[in-house]
Amino acid sequence: MDGAKGQGIDPVTLAVVRGALEQIGDEMDLHLIRAALSPIISETNDCAHGLYDPVTGETIAQGGLGLPMFLANMQFTVQAMIPMVAAAGGFRPGDVWITNDPYLSGTHLNDVVLISPHFVDGKLFCLFANTGHWMDMGGSVPGGWVPTAREIHQEGIIIPPMKLVDQGQRNEGVVSLITANVRLPEQLLGDLAAMINVFALGRRGLDALIARYGTQTLRACIDEMMARSEAEMRAYIADIPDGTYVLEDGFDNDGVVDAPLKVRLAISIAGSDLHFDFTGTDGPAVGPMNISAGTTKSLCFVALKHVFPDVPVNGGAFRPARFTIPEGSILAARYPVAVGGTTDVTQRVVDCVFGALAQAAPQAAPAAPFGTTGVATVSGRHPVTGRYFVAVYPYPGGYGGSYATDGLVNGTPPGSMAKFMSVEMSEHRYPVRFDYLKIRENSSGPGQHRGGCGTAYGIRTLSGAVVSILGDRVDTPPFGIEGGGPAAPNHVAFHTAGKDWIPPMRSKAEKVPFSNGDAFFLASPGGGGFGHPFNRDAQAVEDDLNDGLITQDTAETVYGAIIASRREVFGRLVFAIDAERTRANRTVLTSA
Amino acid sequence: MGGITGIDVGGTFTDLFYSSDGVTVDRVLKVPSTPDDPSRGLIDALDAAGIDVNALDVILHGTTIATNAVIERHGARAALITTEGFRDVLELGRRDRQRMYGLTGTADPLIPRRMRWEVRERMDHLGNVLTPLDETALAGLAAALAAEGVETVVISFLHSYANPAHERRAREIVQAAHDGWEVVISSDVVREYYEFERTSTAVVQGYLQPLVARYARNLSAKLAAKGFARQTLVMQSNGGLVPLSQLGGRAANIVRSGPAAGVMAAAQIAGEAGFASIITGDMGGTSYDVAVVVNGTPKIAAETALDFRVPLRIPMIDVHTIGAGGGSIASLDRGGVLQVGPRSAGAVPGPVCFGRGGTEPTVTDANAVLGRINADHPIGLRHLDRLDLPAARAAIEALGARLGLGIEETAEAILTVVNHIMARRTRLMTVEQGHDPRDFALVVFGGAGPLHGAAIMRDVGIRTMLLPPHPGVLCAIGCAVGDLRYDLTQTVEKPVADLDAGQIHAILAEQRDRGLAQVVASGAAVDRTEVRHAASMSYTGQIHALRVDIDADWSPERMVGAFEAAYAREYGNTLPGASVGIVGLLTTVIGARTKPARIAPPLPAPVRATPRGHRQVWFSGGWHATAIYDRGDLTAGMVFQGPAIIEQADTTSVLEPGMTARVDAFLNILAEMA
Repeated sequence: MDGAKGQGIDPVTLAVVRGALEQIGDEMDLHLIRAALSPIISETNDCAHGLYDPVTGETIAQGGLGLPMFLANMQFTVQAMIPMVAAAGGFRPGDVWITNDPYLSGTHLNDVVLISPHFVDGKLFCLFANTGHWMDMGGSVPGGWVPTAREIHQEGIIIPPMKLVDQGQRNEGVVSLITANVRLPEQLLGDLAAMINVFALGRRGLDALIARYGTQTLRACIDEMMARSEAEMRAYIADIPDGTYVLEDGFDNDGVVDAPLKVRLAISIAGSDLHFDFTGTDGPAVGPMNISAGTTKSLCFVALKHVFPDVPVNGGAFRPARFTIPEGSILAARYPVAVGGTTDVTQRVVDCVFGALAQAAPQAAPAAPFGTTGVATVSGRHPVTGRYFVAVYPYPGGYGGSYATDGLVNGTPPGSMAKFMSVEMSEHRYPVRFDYLKIRENSSGPGQHRGGCGTAYGIRTLSGAVVSILGDRVDTPPFGIEGGGPAAPNHVAFHTAGKDWIPPMRSKAEKVPFSNGDAFFLASPGGGGFGHPFNRDAQAVEDDLNDGLITQDTAETVYGAIIASRREVFGRLVFAIDAERTRANRTVLTSA
Repeated sequence: MGGITGIDVGGTFTDLFYSSDGVTVDRVLKVPSTPDDPSRGLIDALDAAGIDVNALDVILHGTTIATNAVIERHGARAALITTEGFRDVLELGRRDRQRMYGLTGTADPLIPRRMRWEVRERMDHLGNVLTPLDETALAGLAAALAAEGVETVVISFLHSYANPAHERRAREIVQAAHDGWEVVISSDVVREYYEFERTSTAVVQGYLQPLVARYARNLSAKLAAKGFARQTLVMQSNGGLVPLSQLGGRAANIVRSGPAAGVMAAAQIAGEAGFASIITGDMGGTSYDVAVVVNGTPKIAAETALDFRVPLRIPMIDVHTIGAGGGSIASLDRGGVLQVGPRSAGAVPGPVCFGRGGTEPTVTDANAVLGRINADHPIGLRHLDRLDLPAARAAIEALGARLGLGIEETAEAILTVVNHIMARRTRLMTVEQGHDPRDFALVVFGGAGPLHGAAIMRDVGIRTMLLPPHPGVLCAIGCAVGDLRYDLTQTVEKPVADLDAGQIHAILAEQRDRGLAQVVASGAAVDRTEVRHAASMSYTGQIHALRVDIDADWSPERMVGAFEAAYAREYGNTLPGASVGIVGLLTTVIGARTKPARIAPPLPAPVRATPRGHRQVWFSGGWHATAIYDRGDLTAGMVFQGPAIIEQADTTSVLEPGMTARVDAFLNILAEMA
């Protein structure tokens, strides 16, 4: 009877309602992705939509196309906004509230959150919310990634929680105040209109569902869905052995002060309860390597969802976890610290959860992925059109090896689904030219299942421009697990004014002036390895060698391979590995 | 007019349809496919149908060989040559992962890195040469590859859509090194930007070309040996036909041949019956394919993912596939919520009631337990005379115990859940494209479609469901209704303000000429040719373009007007003041085949159909004495009411209580909610 413990809700209605609610979120995601002007939304799905409980703010359902990063973030934002709105007189039909306050809504200033109530027969039934990434919010660096920001005001304008649309009437004064302070006002207006329009779509879908089932049944289904998700998450947690699992990792520096920053995570499992304790984490950072506590929590859930992908997303799935995040640390930022490094700080949270969980459940958690979003921003005036442009190139990188497989090459960050812009499209839009875009050789963490390789690319500008880079993982590479080795660390290099140089902060550089022909060269980390390299199948080592992913030296010394023969095809070596002698060699090396 | 036959070679079955005069349906049948040499299954089908090939005007053909070769990675041994610095574009893709959650799995490029090579050359985005092609190095590379047992060489250079000169010269050099190679250049396959997508498409073409060409040769030889000397035409993924002789060169164009044929047949049949806009639902053993036809024209997708990081940028009928079929398994998730699919019992072990060792209850088991499928006459199964109903009931009972439901209630719950999954996808497919699903008729086919169409129709709010006369072999029929079709695309990527009418017209004229030349080269008997143009347009900065139909002589201003109207339809608003750009231009050249029109015989006065008998079938919570009709008994003008079951050799159809049905002049069953 494990499926029938609901309060008399028939299991068919429950299954159907859950699917229908998720579809409303999907349709909203899809509509915004197609209508947005910002390429960050339309090309990289940097948005999210969901339905929330109007009292508790818990997630009822969320679209499946938006970014994982916003998985729980939206819930925390809605929860923070509910009392504020109540104090201001409460929601009324046709209202839309807005904020981008990162201490409240998480991530960074570019992620703008809108919330709109849904009334049924004059009664507040639920809240709709969406997040969209706007290309530019003002601040000292176009695009908002300011590697040397010391306070939030250098990163852009803060929109405090406020009513943007009052019972259907948009406050044009607020809109013009915003557009006057950003670099791409036309694009922002298009994205804002699209985000507001999407709510109408959500309302239509929900009204149809209400017409069919009535609010009472729907409400009961929602409560039951949350209870089921909680039960499911608890069942997975209970499978992990009780205990406390600690992992320490960190950052190269904060972009202002060149000193490492520590992140410490202790995961405690007790039965079906999970405690994330970040006590011992440094901070705050002087530079922008800070995130809000809400974002930290959200990324813990993202990591959990990667480890247990089957749990449906709603507030219930978030209930079994507790958090201790020291106030004012880099993972619980307070005004006025800068937060533009969110794209990298969030990655480290995921790495830490994987690393700690892997100690208890190595069959479920992978080795560390590449761990840096390393956003490169190129901006300036296009020499042909004279228009201002901002081109954004976030790192792809390798995923960690896992119990199941090798790591993926050219993955998107675990908290993201964002793609990399096409080379040809980039060269059409911006005065840039790619020298290369390739797999970074010898960069994967070795292992029985090796990590995916990093990606290397070189971009040259064809006119004056400024280039900023905000990344990490130069000094501490992505780690391996279960005897697997670490991947190659990040590498950033510039060629400007006839000189080759490495930025003093290694992974971060702000507004470097470029002239025609100047270039930057990035090499992202691979993923860590899973299991000892000696357990890697000899054929797989031979393939890696012939694919040029590892060197002969790595094959011999790290993987213990014995090469039987080699020949040359047009300057490229083709190896054959002797599996039998390799096995013997590994035995000797292991016992030595 | 002589006879025609349509043959659809699928993974499990090869379906055949035969008409002695091109109008009447004289024979339909299913034989097992022969995956080792699919052309043999086709000949088997011809033999089994007892068709004299000399009496045939034309053989029309759909095939899954291309799809299977990609999914199973058994295509050609191929090499890729790219611009220096970019050989990994094929494997890198554009920074993504297989699924949103879960970081396991790797990419499996069709050409591994050790067979990807680079040569010095570079164009800019306008097609200006930045670095000349290093011909000496390329010749050296080609000579080295000649010793490596390569069947295909694919050449993909950056910005070749803007200027294909380097790719064309490279092809000459490479081909000179080895006569026997198939050499594919990316600008021949896709004339559009996006290097990964274009390279991937060219690689798919190169990867399949030897296999498909070999298949075409085998088939031609086998047909010739039987004395067949006329045309064989193959269905492409865009719903148009291509002659067997051109098949190798268009290998990438036939990857979704069968599903496209089904949509074409459904569009044709529905059009004759008076329904111009339809949703097609094709449900088989493992999947449900849904597509939308608006005013007689199937919706076309510009790009389709064949597999993870294997995009195909070729216009194809937009067929969405979800994992819901007769073999979909019902289970409970960890939270105790009933789930159906996407896991499938497949052909082996198959549903529990097939008695091949399946233990988990499937959709087919639910249909059997509820009396919807006739357990005494299993369709398409030769190893048993009767479905194993007791085993199906036991499996469903075990699942039901965990839900607190009885056997029939559980079976009904399984159908409800799977029907809702299909209904949701059906709805999303129309809503996504800005249509109201209530404006469409639903055409259901495939072995399992007619069992579920009534529920999908009710759930989505569709007024009419059309059950064609032979739903189980509709794809074979679809091959027979097609015309020759060639799609030509070219990237423009410029603001309209920067273009003059002359530039646009020159591109369209060049595309038209190339398409018409291909129709002539096909050698197929063509009644007339038709040329259609479209532009993909967007506001500057938008990534997702809209396709707008245009005429060859339109001014840029008129195109902008058409774009804004389309934009307003799609998104509910326009963006005044934002500049509009043309992303690309598309020309479709159609060679219409001679096809005798089917004339509807006059419809007799309505008369009640007579059932063969009755049996107990479960609907909404209880057993109902349900009329069982034999499809062969149903003639034009007959009417009947639900609940009803209609049985025929290729499928079983369900009419729910409260529905009415009539048989039209073409013997379609048209069902409506009363």
